[in-house]
Amino acid sequence: MFLLPILLAFRAAEGDADIVVRLQRREPQALADLYDRYGRVAYSLILRVVRDTGIAEDLVQETFLRIWNRVHAFDARKGAVGPWLLAVARNRAIDYLRSSGGRERHAVEFAETDRPSLYTGMDLGILASDKARAIGAAVEKLSAHQRQAIELAYFEGLSQTEIAERMGQPLGTVKTWVREALKNLRDEVGARAVSA
Amino acid sequence: MNCSELRDHYELYALALAENPERDEIRAHLDRGCEVCLAQMKRAREMTALLGAISAPAAISPRLRRRILASVGAGQRSFGWTPFLAGSTIMCLAAAFYFGGREWDFSREVLRLNEQSRSQIIEITRLNGAFAILNGPDTTVASFGEKTGQPKGKVFCNLTLGCLLIASNLPQAPAGKAYELWFIPKAKGASPIRAGIFQSESDGTAIDVRRGPVDMDATAALAVTMEADTGVDVPTSTPVIVASLAPALQ
Repeated sequence: MFLLPILLAFRAAEGDADIVVRLQRREPQALADLYDRYGRVAYSLILRVVRDTGIAEDLVQETFLRIWNRVHAFDARKGAVGPWLLAVARNRAIDYLRSSGGRERHAVEFAETDRPSLYTGMDLGILASDKARAIGAAVEKLSAHQRQAIELAYFEGLSQTEIAERMGQPLGTVKTWVREALKNLRDEVGARAVSA
Repeated sequence: MNCSELRDHYELYALALAENPERDEIRAHLDRGCEVCLAQMKRAREMTALLGAISAPAAISPRLRRRILASVGAGQRSFGWTPFLAGSTIMCLAAAFYFGGREWDFSREVLRLNEQSRSQIIEITRLNGAFAILNGPDTTVASFGEKTGQPKGKVFCNLTLGCLLIASNLPQAPAGKAYELWFIPKAKGASPIRAGIFQSESDGTAIDVRRGPVDMDATAALAVTMEADTGVDVPTSTPVIVASLAPALQ
């Protein structure tokens, strides 16, 4: 059910390449089309991280401006702009959390989203694919501890040490939960990809 | 490290959870274009992207779209209300000024008409009083000023209604002066009785009405003197008009 808006938002993923080409030609309407396709999912992701609608709107604006300013480095034929945009959105939100909480920023992570070429070769419609439907179910299948650890990492940008402190568990235990959770997700998504 | 040793760390790297030495190893592999690591990272980034799409959908404000487009200089070509609002405001202000001015003019006109009406009512009342005296069955008449160049006219007196003085050839009183009417008693040594002040018109005519009962039996004549325009208690100048009532009473 909660994937329905995503499916609607990404139903025309095959049009991403055209949007990217028009963005590279500096056509503002292309940004409008990109927003219409990914604005809601980016906002939902950011809002879940920062939990403030006003801040979330500011960060969505920053996200789309960053895409607008860096899209020239994107390979429109190979790149999947959706995953890149979500990565930028998540990093803007977590950067805000870390700044407001006085936490250290992860320089490597932020450098990565400034390199859109790293998002080439992905399935253009990945966010509307069976994998997208599978990941939600796979997360639900995780144990409570595993799911919490993954959510703290993904939605709050915590390191494993910080997750251990937050959960009041030994670091080794948390590392095990995180690793097992990621393996389970990889296996579930991979299995869905193979069966598809 | 070789790629197989890094197998469980690509998702950690994609989530910024990888720690050294694995983190530096993956970066080194990616920097030198390691095809295995590039493929594994693509898969890991796909999964990270998918995780980003599982958030519960939230309602987004329509103004955010306008904000974002405006920030790249893309104003929406929508129907612009601003010129119409500005025009409406200007028209409303103009109407307010116009009708405010009209209202002020109307107020002034109403005040002027009220003043005029009040003056006319006073004049009508005075004339009604004069007509009542003229038409009174027991009204008597006395003339004065038969000589050329002197003020002349008539005095109509009624026992109950009062006296009416109609005069002509009466010079205009200078500034600060007015004509004062007196009842002259018959009794010797009695002082003249004040009967009010009046002014003549520019053509030398004057009509003065003194309403109220007149003791005709005790009054010998009516006289007019020129006095200060505030009136005096006793005459201070020679009368310009003296109208004897005695013949009328006989």
